[in-house]
Amino acid sequence: MESSGGEELGLGSRWWIASRRRLMPDDPFFSAGNIERELLAKQVALDLTEDERYQLQKMEVANTEPVFCPIVGCAARLDCLEDFEGHYHARHTASCSVCSRVFPTSRLLSIHISEAHDSFFQAKVARGFPMYECLVEGCGVKLKSYKSRQQHLVDKHKFPTTFEFYKKAHPSKHQRQKHQRRQASHPKEAANDTDMDVDRKSSKQIYQKYRPKKASLKEGKEAEMEVEERMDDLVSAVSKLSTSDSSPSSISFGHRHARGFAFVPRSIHQNRKQTSQSEAKG
Amino acid sequence: MADEDVSPQSSYHRDAIKTSVHNTSAQRRRQLAVAVGKERREALIRTKRLCREAHFDDNEASLEGDMNIDEERAVLNAQASQIIEDLKSATTYQGKGAAQKKVEALRALRRLLSKSEFPPVKAALQAGAVPLLVQYLSFGSPDEQLLEAAWCLTNIAAGEPEETKSLVPALPLLVAHLGEKSSVPVAEQCAWALGNVAGEGDELRNILLAQGALLPLARLMMSNKGSTARTASWALSNLIKGPQPNAATELIRIKGVLDAIIQHLRNLDDELVTEVAWVVVYLSALSEAAVSLLVKSDVVHLLVGKLAASERLHLLIPVLRSLGNLVAADSYMTDKVLVVGHNTTDQILLGLIKCLKSEHRVLKKEAAWVLSNIAAGSVGHKELIFSSEATPLMIHLLSSAPFDIRKEVAYTLGNLCVAPAKNAEQPSIIVHHLVALVNRECISGFIHLVRSADIQSAKLGLQFLELVMRGMPNREGPKLVEREDGIDAMERFQFHENEEMRTMANGLVDKYFGEDYGLDE
Repeated sequence: MESSGGEELGLGSRWWIASRRRLMPDDPFFSAGNIERELLAKQVALDLTEDERYQLQKMEVANTEPVFCPIVGCAARLDCLEDFEGHYHARHTASCSVCSRVFPTSRLLSIHISEAHDSFFQAKVARGFPMYECLVEGCGVKLKSYKSRQQHLVDKHKFPTTFEFYKKAHPSKHQRQKHQRRQASHPKEAANDTDMDVDRKSSKQIYQKYRPKKASLKEGKEAEMEVEERMDDLVSAVSKLSTSDSSPSSISFGHRHARGFAFVPRSIHQNRKQTSQSEAKG
Repeated sequence: MADEDVSPQSSYHRDAIKTSVHNTSAQRRRQLAVAVGKERREALIRTKRLCREAHFDDNEASLEGDMNIDEERAVLNAQASQIIEDLKSATTYQGKGAAQKKVEALRALRRLLSKSEFPPVKAALQAGAVPLLVQYLSFGSPDEQLLEAAWCLTNIAAGEPEETKSLVPALPLLVAHLGEKSSVPVAEQCAWALGNVAGEGDELRNILLAQGALLPLARLMMSNKGSTARTASWALSNLIKGPQPNAATELIRIKGVLDAIIQHLRNLDDELVTEVAWVVVYLSALSEAAVSLLVKSDVVHLLVGKLAASERLHLLIPVLRSLGNLVAADSYMTDKVLVVGHNTTDQILLGLIKCLKSEHRVLKKEAAWVLSNIAAGSVGHKELIFSSEATPLMIHLLSSAPFDIRKEVAYTLGNLCVAPAKNAEQPSIIVHHLVALVNRECISGFIHLVRSADIQSAKLGLQFLELVMRGMPNREGPKLVEREDGIDAMERFQFHENEEMRTMANGLVDKYFGEDYGLDE
């Protein structure tokens, strides 16, 4: 935690460090108290009409600058922090009814649905149509495979090579135990082979999308099956790209609002093997 | 402070108004009401103060009450111009009774500028009030004249920025009349006028400081007379509030100031204590020299006493904030003054708890801030706070209070769970505090912060989740976080614009919810 001033955007520490925080007298933190001081001094606190009191409270709250949505490409202006959650739910929780993945825009959601859950889409892909849209709004390019779209994102739009648009859903506890048991009986060097065992491959995909446990208990199992089938096709199409972190971290996505952002430089559980296999599909 | 005197209405007057009502004028009145509302709001929160009370017995003529705002303003403006003309001619009066005539003219202007909600300051200025009043302030003038002139200037300066700035030609004289040779009421009134000028802004503050206003005001602050000390303290607080620290540093160096502060803090008059406390607020916020002197003096003990004993919001705000500034600025406070076991320490905790329970948002928020800084002290401090009533109060606030209070409370609760850091090492976790908080369902409050658009808060939330996942025994942490939809909250950062937040959130998810997750179920 920062020990000086209130203005730390350095975001230095990953860990909680207990330290004193000093604030300057003109810090917005104190403005409500300052306003209260003046009201009390002028002894009008009692003379304020209800409306005036309300207006003054709004002023105190609005004393902070307007809030801008931090989701990339959005930059929506919100009056106050309390409004953010409502905005987020309205705009950034486009969720897939099939696998419950959540996307920050409806465009990405619809791309996901086509690619992950639409057999018609897969049919067109199989016949060689360029179906994989570039994720950057306004680009318009379509590629023939997931892998080539990935490459396009990296080459043209400077995405990090570790970015994965498609991710398998987080398995239920049952699923986890199943493939962890399997993992135990096939020792680790199996990881090096070109086996296209879906489960094991998926176990290498570190970050797996989480699904709330309640959902998976009810209708989850079927959806998961379907997803796993898709997985068979799609995972095979996922290239194990080289994970050098030399890609620049700043990319622009969506409409340029004079801000770039970096995509998910997530640390993948060291799946840093260079596989030369190119998958059959796509 | 609307001094609208209501006099019996003549029915003729009322009918005349009624007949003129139709749509457009109703609309205008509504618009005007909105404008007045905004003006009034701004006037209310300005750090300037209109002087309305009489210093002495005065037969006040009341203003007509039965006018709408428009009409009242027109009348006042006309009166203002007229009075200024009178004042102009009065400067030429000679001989017997001349002094009295001057005072009467000034008094008329003064009344005009202090009776209504919006005194006709602009009209007066346009008619040339300031140069005229400067003349009336000349050395050797009778006290009554000086007083009335200073009073007029006070209220001119209480208005909008350009109105305050118009006082610049009068400043040297006002400063001069602060001196010991002046009569007390005159000095006091000049201090008030200067307080308004200082309250306008940085530029005017620097002019006043350059003109040497600080020392005479400080002397007035040391006065034994309550109203003088109070007015001077208020003026000083406006003068030293910065953002530059030099005035504050200069003030504490003046001989007698610290002693006067201590003495006034002992006073039974809450108004005086309040204004002096505001001086301490700015001294403690801006001047390192002041901080070192204050922490070693009786001031802390006196402030803590007031914090624990008083119920008055007006007083509690600056007292709380002064203590907050001192604790934040100097580790001497937690190391030597607020030692665990000392009476002062117990008292300050009681005072802070009282503020946490208060219905006033300001007190809750700023008390939580102070607590968070004390909780950043030794393990002994953490245990003291943890075992007090503060903890359940804060846990409740974490889930129920407005955002700004939740954030401060979050700082405190997290600080309670982490031992003092040594160098650059990962700080160790005070497990039994963490477990207790988690068992009281704090995780969801922190996850709520993770979802906030405010980066600092989101970071706070993530850091706490890291503590939970690292520190909870039996590797329970990740499960507990998952149960509260913590993974979902962390996932949001996948598309967040801030790279470090993304790295942090994704790092946590990868580390604690990777392929080993659930292995031991």
